[in-house]
Amino acid sequence: MNGDVASNQSRSSEFIVSAQKHKIQKIKQKAGEAILLLIASFVAIVVFFIFWFVARDAVPFFRLRGFAEFFTSADWYPADDPPKFGSLAIIYGSLMVTLGSALIAVPMGVIASICLSDILPFSVRQYVKPVIEMLAAIPSVAYGFFALVVFAPLLQNNGGPILMWTWWVIAAPFFLLAVIVASELLTTSIAKESMKKSAKMALNIVLSLLAILFLYVVGNHLQGLVIMSGTNALNVSIILSFMALPTIVSVSEDALQAVGRELREGSYALGATRAETIVKTILPAASSGILAAVILGIMRALGETMVVWMASGNSSSIPVPFYNYLDSVRTLTATIAGDMGEADQVTGSARFHVLFAMGLLLLIVSFVSNLISERIVVRQRKILSGQ
Amino acid sequence: MNLGTRKLLDHSFTALGFGSIIIMGLALLVVLFPIATKGVGAFVFKGTIEHRKLLLSEFHRGDPKEIVKEETETNRYRQKVFDMLAAFDQELDQMDYEQQSKYRSSYDQVKTSLRTLLGPLPGDSEPALTRFQYGQTRWDKAEEKLHGLLYEQKWDYSNPDVIAKPYDVSRAAGFAGTSLVKLFPYVEENLDKMMMPEWTFYWGFFTESSLDAHFFGGIWPEIQGTIFLAIGAMLFAFPLGVIAAIYFTEYARDGFLTSMLRSANSTLAGVPSIVFGLFGLAFFINTLHVSESKSVLAGSLTLAIMILPTIIRAAEEAILAVPKTYKEASLGLGSTKWNTIVTVILPAALPGILTGGVISLGRAAGETAPIIFTAAVSVGAAIGLGDVLTSPTPALSWNIYNLASEHEAAAEIRHVQYGMVLALVTVVLLLNLSAVILRARISKKLKG
Repeated sequence: MNGDVASNQSRSSEFIVSAQKHKIQKIKQKAGEAILLLIASFVAIVVFFIFWFVARDAVPFFRLRGFAEFFTSADWYPADDPPKFGSLAIIYGSLMVTLGSALIAVPMGVIASICLSDILPFSVRQYVKPVIEMLAAIPSVAYGFFALVVFAPLLQNNGGPILMWTWWVIAAPFFLLAVIVASELLTTSIAKESMKKSAKMALNIVLSLLAILFLYVVGNHLQGLVIMSGTNALNVSIILSFMALPTIVSVSEDALQAVGRELREGSYALGATRAETIVKTILPAASSGILAAVILGIMRALGETMVVWMASGNSSSIPVPFYNYLDSVRTLTATIAGDMGEADQVTGSARFHVLFAMGLLLLIVSFVSNLISERIVVRQRKILSGQ
Repeated sequence: MNLGTRKLLDHSFTALGFGSIIIMGLALLVVLFPIATKGVGAFVFKGTIEHRKLLLSEFHRGDPKEIVKEETETNRYRQKVFDMLAAFDQELDQMDYEQQSKYRSSYDQVKTSLRTLLGPLPGDSEPALTRFQYGQTRWDKAEEKLHGLLYEQKWDYSNPDVIAKPYDVSRAAGFAGTSLVKLFPYVEENLDKMMMPEWTFYWGFFTESSLDAHFFGGIWPEIQGTIFLAIGAMLFAFPLGVIAAIYFTEYARDGFLTSMLRSANSTLAGVPSIVFGLFGLAFFINTLHVSESKSVLAGSLTLAIMILPTIIRAAEEAILAVPKTYKEASLGLGSTKWNTIVTVILPAALPGILTGGVISLGRAAGETAPIIFTAAVSVGAAIGLGDVLTSPTPALSWNIYNLASEHEAAAEIRHVQYGMVLALVTVVLLLNLSAVILRARISKKLKG
């Protein structure tokens, strides 16, 4: 006991410090903080360096060849004499696979995130989240390998039937629903109950026959499609969409969670069903956050290298017709990865610098979209916390 | 709309939600299933006598006496094939020129098929490449090659509207009336006696170097390269990331500087991976000259920059999740801010920080694009720990691409590619699994 008191006393005597010691301590603290700041700002320095060094190697290309050829010509013959560096087809390829993957991933991702945040009970959610995390964790080269070795041959040999079945499975329920809703809406103005019923019946039959005819015609056309090569824009778009999904799901789920209970409860209290609550109340409230999620997901698809390099076919021409997803394409990322070896890393050759020009283009696009999505998230947070 | 339709729409909406989640789960299964099943085939397969001969002479493993015994046994059955060939050779000599030329090219094809199946025929000179010194080491491959011996593949161009379809033509029919006809049914019936397939667990796949451009041997150099690169990246990124996270959570005041730094962090997280590769090439190799050309060091630095934002974010979250009371208690006892951080906050946040670290480790191991220009080579032996500063290394991710897309006989070594993908995916998913478990334990602990 006594010893404790004694040590306490000696320690308390340490606290009585001179002004000078206090000052030194203050300075030490400031210096420590400065070092921490320096290390924390390392990230900013790195970002600056990335811009600087990629731009430094990109500028010689534009100085040598100008801007017009790069952005407007589709002739990509870097190895010819004289070489041609028209990258329009490559930029178009990047946009095409990104759009294709967004068309699949955005609706699916948003619906899945709604399901996670509003529909599934917590106990099930616990098992779904790891699935999404695993989808995000699988290395891109493994996806690329799958796309090249498993999916491409499948698509090439059985592409028509696969497309037809996918069309039926996805479109048939939608059309069925549309028929029921349409006949309901079209007969609301009929006053007499018995007439209403028979009119509805007749409409149901007519519309479903029409729908089946349409489904059949489109399905037949899809089945007849000949897929010359399984390594094409469609293959890549599908695989990329599954790589972009985890980003979209997790970010938009955060946005949906941020919409408080009050809005949901208010909507339910007014008699809305769950679907109506989600579509008419929650989605508009979370729309900006979901937009940010979509931008981030799209960037993931645009910046992906290995899948497109392995499975897009790498043909540097614009597909004919321009919306033909069964044609091979080539993207910016795949060109950078694939051509660097042949450019021989000779600093000074336009062939080397054009790849940096492409990198700079990707970098600027990703930077701008990141800023936009960040702004959106910040604004949404402000609005929601302000309410 | 009446209530019934509204309810129907509500239910279909729910079904849509379930549907999209089920599709995601199915996609995961569809991707992982072939990788898992065929990947296991890389090291668990029916190995033939050729496999055991190869192991003995190239890696000095196996029981020499047993193998010699097996070899004499198989040679007994193979001898009959060789005898048939010799008999046909004589028959061919006695034919006139026209008949000879009729059989010649087809006969050469048969011989080539037999060589790929059984190894060099008697009288052949010793081939230079290892892949021609042995027959098929795997029974599944041997059966494939047997089909190639029995049937010749031809293409049907009759319908110009569709892609040409392949069809099989029996080779035996081409040799009707000669002594060689008997060879085909004989090989078909006795192939298992000529090859002696046995279920093999080839653990050397993970511990041995490859032979002859991955035709034989294992993937150890790639595994080791991946480990070096991932751990090297962590060595740089982990301390930096944790310190930056401490600054952001404990010291940073709201202001222009902080918001700019945060912006920089999310920008870095969004940079396409191939651009990191370009930057690594332009900065670490061409400007700083950290090494002559590609090296593990340059690759690790590039990967470190790539995973830095993830580590910072995870560490920030982990530090913020530490209850405020911990900090207040420590400060109340008179400890300094720095002391509180080091002795109270960091230990409490450590599992969360480690979770982020483990996930980043997996990401660094799996990424390909940043190491293409900075660290990866297609073929090479395992490098020593002393060489990491100067020499490049093969790595799983890069070699999967390389073997699948650029190898001269990519279709012949699918099993190796699958094995590599399985190894990589397993490592990454195990790391992620441990992160999930770690996180579940933390949330339990924090809930009390």
